[in-house]
Amino acid sequence: VKEHDFKKCHQSGFCSRNRAFADHALAASSWQSPYTILPESGAFKDGQYQATILKTINDQGETVRLPITISFLESGTGRVTVDEEKRQKGEIELRHNSKARKERYNEAEKWVIVGGLGLDKKAKVESQDKTQLTVKYGPSSNFEAIIKFSPFSIDFKRDGISQIKFNDQGLLNIEHWRPKIEKAPEPEPEKKEGEETTEGEQKEEEKKEEPQGVDESTLWEETFGGNTDSKPRGPESIGLDISFVGFEHVFGIPSHASSLSLKQTRGGEGNYEEPYRLYNADVFEYILDSPMTLYGAIPFMQAHRKGSSVGVFWLNAAETWVDVVKAKDSKNPLALGLGSKTTTRTHWMSESGLLDVFVFLGPTPKDVVTKYAELTGTTTMPQEFALGYHQCRWNYVSDEDVKDVDRKMDKFKMPYDVIWLDIEYTDEKKYFTWDQHSFKDPIGMGEQLANHGRQLVTIIDPHIKNVDNYPVVAELKSKELAVKNKEGSIFEGWCWPGSSHWIDAFNPKAREWWASLFKYTSFKGTRENTWIWNDMNEPSVFNGPEVTMPKDNLHDGNWEHRDVHNLNGMTFNNATFHALKSRKPGELRRPFVLTRAFFAGSQRIGAMWTGDNMAEWGHLKASFPMVLSQGISGYPFSGADVGGFFGNPDKDLLTRWYQAGIFYPFFRGHAHIDARRREPYLMGEPYNTIIAAALRLRYSLLPSWYTAFHQAHVDGTPIIKPMFYTHPSEEGGLAIDDQFFVGNTGLLAKPVTEQDKESVDIWIPDNEVYYDYFTYNIIPTSKGKSVTIDAPMDKIPLLMQGGHIFARRDIPRRSSTLMKWDDYTLVVSVSKDGKHAEGDLYVDDGDSYDFEKGQYINRKFVFDGSAKTIVSIDAEGRETKSIKEGEWLKKMHGVSVDKIIVVGAPASLAGKKEVSVESGGKSWSASVEYNAAASSGRAAFAVIKKVAAPVGADFKINFA
Amino acid sequence: ASASLPRGVGPEFVKFYENKSTFTCIGNPSITLKTSQINDNSCDCPDGSDEPGTAACAHLDPLSPQQPLPGSVTGTTNTTAALRGFWCANDGHIGSYLPFMYVNDGVCDYDLCCDGSDEAAHVGGVKCENKCAAIGKEYRRVEEERRQSKERSAKRRRTLVKEARELRRRVEAKIVSLNKEIQDLEVKKEELQKKYEEVERSEKNKVVKSVGKGGKLGVLLGVAKTRVSELRNTLDKVLDQRDDLQDRVDQLEELLSKLKEEFNPNFNDEGVKAAVKGWEDYAASNTGEKKSDLADSDIMEVLKEDGETSGINWAEFESDDSSDADIVYNLEAYLPSFARDWVHEKLNLLRSWAIENGILADNPTTGTESRLVTAARDAVTSATNDLASKTSAVEEEKRDLEKDYGPDDIFRALKGKCISRDVAEYEYELCWFDRTTQKSKKGHGNTSMGSFVRIDKEQADEEERADGKGLGKGQRMVLRYENGQGCWNGPNRRTDVWLACAETDELWRVTESEKCVYKMEVGTPAACEDVNEPRVNTKDEL
Repeated sequence: VKEHDFKKCHQSGFCSRNRAFADHALAASSWQSPYTILPESGAFKDGQYQATILKTINDQGETVRLPITISFLESGTGRVTVDEEKRQKGEIELRHNSKARKERYNEAEKWVIVGGLGLDKKAKVESQDKTQLTVKYGPSSNFEAIIKFSPFSIDFKRDGISQIKFNDQGLLNIEHWRPKIEKAPEPEPEKKEGEETTEGEQKEEEKKEEPQGVDESTLWEETFGGNTDSKPRGPESIGLDISFVGFEHVFGIPSHASSLSLKQTRGGEGNYEEPYRLYNADVFEYILDSPMTLYGAIPFMQAHRKGSSVGVFWLNAAETWVDVVKAKDSKNPLALGLGSKTTTRTHWMSESGLLDVFVFLGPTPKDVVTKYAELTGTTTMPQEFALGYHQCRWNYVSDEDVKDVDRKMDKFKMPYDVIWLDIEYTDEKKYFTWDQHSFKDPIGMGEQLANHGRQLVTIIDPHIKNVDNYPVVAELKSKELAVKNKEGSIFEGWCWPGSSHWIDAFNPKAREWWASLFKYTSFKGTRENTWIWNDMNEPSVFNGPEVTMPKDNLHDGNWEHRDVHNLNGMTFNNATFHALKSRKPGELRRPFVLTRAFFAGSQRIGAMWTGDNMAEWGHLKASFPMVLSQGISGYPFSGADVGGFFGNPDKDLLTRWYQAGIFYPFFRGHAHIDARRREPYLMGEPYNTIIAAALRLRYSLLPSWYTAFHQAHVDGTPIIKPMFYTHPSEEGGLAIDDQFFVGNTGLLAKPVTEQDKESVDIWIPDNEVYYDYFTYNIIPTSKGKSVTIDAPMDKIPLLMQGGHIFARRDIPRRSSTLMKWDDYTLVVSVSKDGKHAEGDLYVDDGDSYDFEKGQYINRKFVFDGSAKTIVSIDAEGRETKSIKEGEWLKKMHGVSVDKIIVVGAPASLAGKKEVSVESGGKSWSASVEYNAAASSGRAAFAVIKKVAAPVGADFKINFA
Repeated sequence: ASASLPRGVGPEFVKFYENKSTFTCIGNPSITLKTSQINDNSCDCPDGSDEPGTAACAHLDPLSPQQPLPGSVTGTTNTTAALRGFWCANDGHIGSYLPFMYVNDGVCDYDLCCDGSDEAAHVGGVKCENKCAAIGKEYRRVEEERRQSKERSAKRRRTLVKEARELRRRVEAKIVSLNKEIQDLEVKKEELQKKYEEVERSEKNKVVKSVGKGGKLGVLLGVAKTRVSELRNTLDKVLDQRDDLQDRVDQLEELLSKLKEEFNPNFNDEGVKAAVKGWEDYAASNTGEKKSDLADSDIMEVLKEDGETSGINWAEFESDDSSDADIVYNLEAYLPSFARDWVHEKLNLLRSWAIENGILADNPTTGTESRLVTAARDAVTSATNDLASKTSAVEEEKRDLEKDYGPDDIFRALKGKCISRDVAEYEYELCWFDRTTQKSKKGHGNTSMGSFVRIDKEQADEEERADGKGLGKGQRMVLRYENGQGCWNGPNRRTDVWLACAETDELWRVTESEKCVYKMEVGTPAACEDVNEPRVNTKDEL
């Protein structure tokens, strides 16, 4: 990465001002925050408290009015919103004759929040006096918000214990509107007199308005990398300290190439010097272990300690920085014998917009994640093929090339579902066109892919080439659907095609127009198996500040780009999603769209990937904390480029990356145009065989992956889960970010991510039994300790935790589509006590929205060692017979559970030749092969064969 | 019998399935199943032999994730299945095996299974009708067409072989004639050498007589001394200038290489990209650049002031008044060897200038003899050179004879010929056994894609094309062209030229599947197998 292309905090005016503000406040022994709620302005009604905060802005006691709304939502989520009266009412003057809106940006909610805003009418004021107000709320009224008036602060408690505090440190800072007072130009010599004098003078001057020294140099204009931001509205940043009381670990705020548990950012050994930054940017070849911003932003943070998980969601789409500091909190050594605890203090800073924060009080990780999902939506139910393997490269050079790769994957018996076309397929980077020389017959190419149930993804980016004889740009201009510059005329910048314009997807008319471009009749050469990849939607503007748009550009409604920057990628991605839904009248299928830029809410649209990584071991390793962080932040449909985008992985690295990549929810191999060919079959033996086996492992487990996606779709549950999520009480595992469970399968994976490593140490979170996935060997584990697992090149470290049942499809096929009608295998990993195992399987047609009308199968399987039964029942307790079956459900009558493998089989299965199966009012017997435990360490296991019960039907196997 | 056989059993496995009451797993005779368990879509035999007609045992394969499987040879699913695949009888066409994983997957794999028997389970409602009649017919038509085309190509190949033989004969003949010339030249050279030695001996003592101290020779000495010192000064200045320029070039190169390293390729500035590209080409063309023959140390030697130990000891000339003219002629002898050639040339010029200006005797009695010596020596030199070049010509022809021109020496007939094809903005050219080139139609100049290195053989695996213009499947000759123009951050361009049999020479396709690695697919009769070769040979011998 060209680090100097991107700002550090001290190069970002508002970040530097807010940090300076914090330094000043924290250094002063008697610092008092100048924000006070006027008690008489406050009113509590229907779960909402509204009041006015007065901010004292100078020694004369002048104040500005900041309306505050504190909402208590039915879900138990709290919300604090602070606006600024003058801007709200438009009583301000913009400089440079700007056409920009005068209000603080207040539409982030419109794009991000899809539900969960119902007010908790049962929330009530518990007590109130002149100094503070206490509100009781939450599902069992065990949440409390203590709102202190002067200085303003809020203490959020659960069961009487403080969890989260706002403005506890007094870092609340809302830069109010002020006219620019043109000072007489400073005489030249003064500047030369040295910094001290100048600084001193500035401070003196500023004291007239601000209670502390403010660096005025960036209030009205900022220049970085040769680009000047005209800032017509002047300074307008917001800052707030949020303390997580007693929490040592905080997680989230992706995307950063950093650890899952966030590091401290105010220096010190092992800490960062810079705050975590959220400002979507095209940061190619990004550096590892850095708080630097990446391609997408989710300002959702959760804190976790033994017994409690809480979180905050900072709803702001402007450039945002977050400082994290952890401090031993020894205030109350005698309090409840808690002793000294660590409190994590965070400092949030955004350049503009409302202060709008949601507070989640847990108490479990799942509570926090699902309440967040209630607000911002859950993972879209994907096309089933999207869970398969994606083969990408910049670029497959022709339709012949695509067809050849397609054939070779078959020849080497490697399953895959999707092949991708990067920008070179277009006619000179004009999207919606094809390079006529290289892609003579895209339809023929699409047909060949469709023959084996495969898909094509073509890239479509938001920059539209500015060139003559290109109808798309002509319409964009004539219909005025593009982003505008600060003067209000069409913005022109550079990207892949050279001079380009950018569609303004905030504009409803632009989205309507965008949809028209994707119709099969418009985008010729596409067909039902063509899908879309949105890249460069940060947006990436090669000649713009920090490789993106000038902040004073204007979007629909005359909002400045600075207000909506982090939303930009999502709105474009969203426009494409809806465009794909309307390609053909009457065709209602789930779109597949990949995005690089994202924001809170993007999970409702499609998949994301971690951007332009590198073919290095470090990047392989870094991908797991990143993907896990996406998962706990509501956007689990994520993955890193397998093999690494830039550079050439050696065979070991590529092979290990495939073995690891099969655990990314989004699993795609990709390579830069300058990289050598690296389709998986090109590695030669033994690598080809090892990679094929890894791909097939992914494919055999697709039923379980799909079930996990469904769970994510239902309530926002992560698809691969870190230890703190599954075992929140085990403090030893809270910071572990290189191993994880897959869905509810109990499969515990720890991919090898280091060169020449032939074993891994897996940390074991509990006292359950663990079996090796491939040998059924019982692993000698003990709770809270690591166990070493051999992992030569051909071995993937993968354990089965006792107590689960998961579904597989064992027949290797060419694509996921061709597995649609295959029978299932159930794997039962019996719990340590031999008594119990359970699991789920969700199936639908993988393509349409019929699942919303009950057209799906959702089973719960239970193994009961005492009753000696294995049963399958509807997971939701539906009366399945009453569902009117559509075509797909009818066909599923022909798909059965063929085989059940019971690992850790109880003695009651020993010596059995058959068991009885009951389903649909009939009963029959199925054969059993029992294998006693072996001296190799292999657990006893039994295979029940030809179960032959339809997968959608209830069944009961009795082995009494 | 086949009517009652289980589905999918191939001819060589029929015997295992003839028993009507039970079935014994082929590789596990201890396991006996009911015949109803054959093709019941549930895998019972550890070698998969109970499911010849379904995909239920398709996971018994080293490519699948391993699971314990007691009873199999390895004890795991990582084992070799007993059957070769699902047998499609394909009546009316050609029977073939289909991988088990293709069975009952909802796709009619007509290319392998034209009778549609692979989808007997009709999963998802798929029905594969028997298309063997039509597919078989079309197959036979295309085969016949191919056969005919092959015959025509083979004929053309025979012509090429003849041409190649003729060319070889010509080379051989040339070697013979060159060898003869060499012999003659050696004799001649020896004579000339003798003659030269004689002339030299006879002229040895004749020198230009001194015309007295301070005479014309004295004047010459003065002039020469000044001249040499002028030349030295000029050389000195030129060197300074050169160093200056080299400094500037170094500075510029450093600037450019820094630009190349630090520019952001994502900033798609055409100007910067063009500059970087130009720089890379420049840098690539400079790698392995020969250092100047003239080492700086040699130049410094020349630049030293003349004196007793270096350069020309003028004092010696000035004091010696007996044989000064002689000395002028032999001046070279006094020079350090590295400077001799250079000075020789300069002195010759000086000498003729001196003669023309009447400073040196033009035609003294001794002059004729002197030129005689020169002439004799020149004659020897010329004969020596002639001999060397002839010898090397012979060597070259011999090497050419030994060179691999493919089977039957066939590419000898194509060598030096070129074929080309337009693709988008480029014309691609293949010159047989010479080079491959990318020529810009937009006037950006030509790019070398490699020079011929050798012939290899590789397995092609491509679908047959309707027009026959493709590599198909099987072993193909691949001509390697390497060390083309250097590439962006990478190696030099190279081209693999894949050859397939065709009636005429044609460059079918050029692809750059990864940067700067090109693949040319070329049809040529030279790549044909001559089906009738033995007969042709006999005919030719006659």
